Amino acid sequence: MQLIENLRLAFTSLAANKMRALLTMLGIIIGISSVIMITTIGTSIQKTLTNTFNQMGESNFFDVYLIQNYEGDDYSAYDAMSDEDMFTRDMIDRLIAEYGDHFTPRLSQSFGNAKVRNTDGQEFSVSIEGELSQPKDSTHLRGRTINQRDNQEGMYTIYVSDLFVSQYCKDGSDPIGQTVELTLDSGISAEFVIVGTFQLPSFYDRIYPPGTSEMDKVTSVTVPLDTMLKLTHQEQEPMMYLTVAWNTDYDPEMLKQELQDFFDKEYEDKPDYEVMIENEQVYLEMINTIINVITIAISVIAAISLIVGGVGVMNIMLVSITERTKEIGIRKALGAQNAAIRMQFIVESILICLIGGVIGILLGIGGGMMIGTVAKALVTQIYPDYAELIAITVQPSIPAILIAVLFSVLTGVFFGYYPANKAAKMNPIDALRYD
Amino acid sequence: MHEPVISMRNIIKRYYIGKPNELQILTGISLDVEKGEFLAIVGQSGSGKSTLMNMIGALDRPTEGSYFLNGVDTGTLDDTELSRIRNQEIGFVFQTFNLISRTNALKNVEMPMMYAGIPRKERVKRAKELLEIVDMSDRADHQPNELSGGQKQRVAIARAMANHPSILLADEPTGALDSKTGRMIMDLFHKLHKEEGTTIVLITHSPELAQECDRIVTISDGSIISDTGVRQNAAD
Repeated sequence: MQLIENLRLAFTSLAANKMRALLTMLGIIIGISSVIMITTIGTSIQKTLTNTFNQMGESNFFDVYLIQNYEGDDYSAYDAMSDEDMFTRDMIDRLIAEYGDHFTPRLSQSFGNAKVRNTDGQEFSVSIEGELSQPKDSTHLRGRTINQRDNQEGMYTIYVSDLFVSQYCKDGSDPIGQTVELTLDSGISAEFVIVGTFQLPSFYDRIYPPGTSEMDKVTSVTVPLDTMLKLTHQEQEPMMYLTVAWNTDYDPEMLKQELQDFFDKEYEDKPDYEVMIENEQVYLEMINTIINVITIAISVIAAISLIVGGVGVMNIMLVSITERTKEIGIRKALGAQNAAIRMQFIVESILICLIGGVIGILLGIGGGMMIGTVAKALVTQIYPDYAELIAITVQPSIPAILIAVLFSVLTGVFFGYYPANKAAKMNPIDALRYD
Repeated sequence: MHEPVISMRNIIKRYYIGKPNELQILTGISLDVEKGEFLAIVGQSGSGKSTLMNMIGALDRPTEGSYFLNGVDTGTLDDTELSRIRNQEIGFVFQTFNLISRTNALKNVEMPMMYAGIPRKERVKRAKELLEIVDMSDRADHQPNELSGGQKQRVAIARAMANHPSILLADEPTGALDSKTGRMIMDLFHKLHKEEGTTIVLITHSPELAQECDRIVTISDGSIISDTGVRQNAAD
């Protein structure tokens, strides 16, 4: 109740001196708006990076690398990795047998180009990618992807792009369930059933010179890796690198440990080799941490201007209580306790800082957005090819806004206390006599 | 037990204590005021009557002597308790009205009740009643700068009465008003005295105004030189 009265008094007092109130707030406005602008830019960079990163692919996977250790500077002692030392299919099958419930292996091999004849009898080319399993990503359209079961059972299934659909289904019929005959360069051919479709990224078109006819564009189709190996009488090529996606219901840290233990055991008797497991996300987090530190550091510098603003508020509050000495005297004669007078002026000081803070926040967000828009325009201008990949997202930092509001209030209390206390301690008679 | 509202014993007030220009304003005042009295304190400028008023109003503390207000020794009270005394026991009426600017008449009257912690609804109701008593209801939402001197003083009197004080303490209440308006204010004091039984202490330099009161205490050079005692009001 007292607070509402004090707020009303403070509003009346500020309204009576609008220009002065605004000038007093200026320091706070500049301080808060620069902090908000900097944090908005900081979070926008982070958001943009994360978006770009996510666009480039899924991030819930570990990269497993095989690296060769060698001692000293003598590079001549460094032998090329032999096939038998690399990750073999046997090794991976053992891994799947042991921990297959915790992850999905992302094993693929390219099988070159193949010819396809569409419903109109026209021939066009596709490139064949064998996959052990494939996640549904953001570009998935319909049906399903190739999974481990397709591989185990040696099924002839195929996952195709929207471009393939328009190349193949000239009659506009539903592609799912249709049979496609692929003829490899080696002459081997087989029929595959379409199980699902995905959308090509929008920048895909730019791979081809303008005016390239649709039938001349080559997209990749995905088929089960094991089916393809069997069909072409091949063995899986040994690898130095493997990608493993963790299952969403499993703890990535535990999976990492399991993978490390498994490969450490596999390479126990090959001390020259080491297996490293890393997650791309780690780099993103590292960059984000660096941006955070920089943002905070610059914000703290900007916050120094808040002190200047606070001193301005203190100054004007001292002027205000001197001007209103008589009023303070009257209030005391009417029975206002010191605490009540103190609260009245602290509330006024808080209100100045809070209004300044809110204006500062709005200006800061506006400024940040403006810079973001300019940056977006520049990126589009300078790197037109990547404009879509580097999708600049301007996002104000919510915690920074909350902290700014809190900080405004604290500034008001801190710099308002001394003048308010001075008012509270005035001698009522002297105050009443003041002219 | 019978107790006077004001009981002052040998009040001394000095300024600049211990300095070469030490000044003794009150040189030993003893005064009792009974409930329901209408008392005038008269004296020339510089006689010490304003200082005495500050003492009675608990705005200032005596250097020596004791002041009992409704039996409470004010010398033992701290600043917060003195605030409460001013709020509850004293109603000030000043020569220059001292309304709070940019605050309408109703809010000015509410103010002592606000500091007393009375809920908003209740104090608005009481403030309206008070404005009714001083015949200012139609100006409740006017700012002080929209009121004439007499109107301001009536609002100030309403404000002084807000918390049912033991004493209405008026310091030259007609000093800034023309004689006609001054008359109206004096009539209002008489009305409050008769109808509400308010104890009124009127400080004035005007012997004519003093003559209207039940009792006249004259001060000169910081001490009481005459006290008529309670008598029948001359005006009756």
